[in-house]
Amino acid sequence: MVLSFFKRGESGLEHVAHQTISMLGDARHSFDLASTAVLAGADPAAVGADIRATDERINAAEQKLRSELVVHVAVQGGGDIGLVLGYTLLLKKIERIGDQAKNILDLAEEGISLAGADDVEMFISRRQQISQMYVEAADILATQDADRARAFLAASRELNAECEAKVHEYMHSDRPGHWAVPRAILHRYWKRIVANLAGIVTAAIEPISSLDYLEGGATDIVD
Amino acid sequence: MSDRGPVQFESAARLLRFAVVLGLIYLFLAGVSSLEGGIKVMGADTQERLFSNVSHPIAGLFIGLLGTVLVQSSSASTSVIVGLVASGALGLEAAVPMIMGANLGTTVTNTLVSLGHVRQSNEFRRALAAATVHDFFNVMAVIVLLPFELATGLLSRLATGTADLLIGSGGAEWESPLKALVKAPVSALKDGLKSAGFDGNALGISMVAVGLVVVLISLISITKNMKQLIAARLERSMNRVLGRGGGIVAIIVGILVTVAVQSSSITTSILIPMSAAGVITLRNAYPVTLGANVGTTITALLAAMAASGSDALSIALVHTWFNVIGILVLFGIPFLRPLPIRAAELLAEVAVRRRTFAFVWVLGMFIIVPLIGVAIFR
Repeated sequence: MVLSFFKRGESGLEHVAHQTISMLGDARHSFDLASTAVLAGADPAAVGADIRATDERINAAEQKLRSELVVHVAVQGGGDIGLVLGYTLLLKKIERIGDQAKNILDLAEEGISLAGADDVEMFISRRQQISQMYVEAADILATQDADRARAFLAASRELNAECEAKVHEYMHSDRPGHWAVPRAILHRYWKRIVANLAGIVTAAIEPISSLDYLEGGATDIVD
Repeated sequence: MSDRGPVQFESAARLLRFAVVLGLIYLFLAGVSSLEGGIKVMGADTQERLFSNVSHPIAGLFIGLLGTVLVQSSSASTSVIVGLVASGALGLEAAVPMIMGANLGTTVTNTLVSLGHVRQSNEFRRALAAATVHDFFNVMAVIVLLPFELATGLLSRLATGTADLLIGSGGAEWESPLKALVKAPVSALKDGLKSAGFDGNALGISMVAVGLVVVLISLISITKNMKQLIAARLERSMNRVLGRGGGIVAIIVGILVTVAVQSSSITTSILIPMSAAGVITLRNAYPVTLGANVGTTITALLAAMAASGSDALSIALVHTWFNVIGILVLFGIPFLRPLPIRAAELLAEVAVRRRTFAFVWVLGMFIIVPLIGVAIFR
């Protein structure tokens, strides 16, 4: 441990960046497991322990990285303060995404299963789309590719509009509540997850002052 | 989110900075040598007048403290003391309390840093406790070791013994190879001043003044450049201290970081915002501070490499042994270990209730009490 002082290694913010990407991987793992419980009928008790353990790992990582950001400022001074504040927001968004996977698990634990439902294919397709967005967001964070970030944000706005429309549709559906409500809630959770993923990607390309806000001061993110 | 420059450019910049640091170390050594040379040029009566005030150990202690507060660097003040001892103007015995005073004075920097958190009660409590634990350790170390040294001469004998071990006994005539390396610029300075009409005490004072300025500027620059060079390692080390807690590892991290940046104030001041934010506990910050105390003694040892005779090395080693023995006693003995921590917590608690107390502490500890001490014991 002490000898590591003499070895070369990644800088503080590089370490935070790598850990952030790793946290996104954990968040995706939780999302996939929770979705499997609702959409494919996986046993909630079986996946629940894994999801909670992953969530604890995400929370612990967030706390550790927050401390590392304080250390970074203490050691390096205020030069990277914009990045540090950006990472603070970003870490919080990943932590929230982790919590939202637990929200989806809650649906399964309430006995909700869409496995075998006539519209399950649409849900599975959307679930895959969102799961892929975790990977894309992590790639954008790693590469800082502004073009890909803009394309991601456009796709996320489109998907969120679709989720919003679906929520609206289920709210006014003539089908019974036990059919419509879980679908509306699931879309609501998805919308929040996509919004937070968009917030993460925005943090990669936008200055700290404009994160989470649209022009004119309206809030951008529903989380 | 990171936006780093090309790796090659970064490596070249690091190499250049490293070369600058080597040049600065050479300047620093030349400064110490000039200081020693300047004192030697002065007449014996001038030397006597200059240093008669520090013959009382308490006066010496407080002069060491005040001198360090003035330059906010024990590395600088102890290097000057090494130069004075090397010149023969200041005896080893008289210099020992000054070294202890320098150790006390260096804590002013992080205490001042902690005052920056005065508006937020909880942050201030943690920051001030983290800063003053250093004060209390050093005060307690002086309370324990100064009377012991005066009664037994243990520290000086231990340091002299170590110096003899390193350079052989009878080392009054010993000259380090580095001394020869810095001879040329000091001789050039002396010749230049002589040709400008300086002689006797004027020549000596001028050489001392140039030496002091060079020592201060080069030390500040070494610290600044080394901090840049090792920033990533420093950050990783601090993160490891957070991850693994305090203890011996934290002491070693404190030593390594401080040796690298040549300034305990840098190490301890980094701990203040971390403590204020609550990411490091007082119990984990404390051993890093102790390591910084030991690490900072490297500068005086380096200065001794440019000075003449074994006494210069002995007084530098007194600084090291004082801190090592202080740690063995105050950190190594379990029932004494919490004392500086409790004292710092108590002081921080009182200061949070009455903010002015923090300012009274700084003024009293670092200016008023030392001034009164010097006035009484000179």
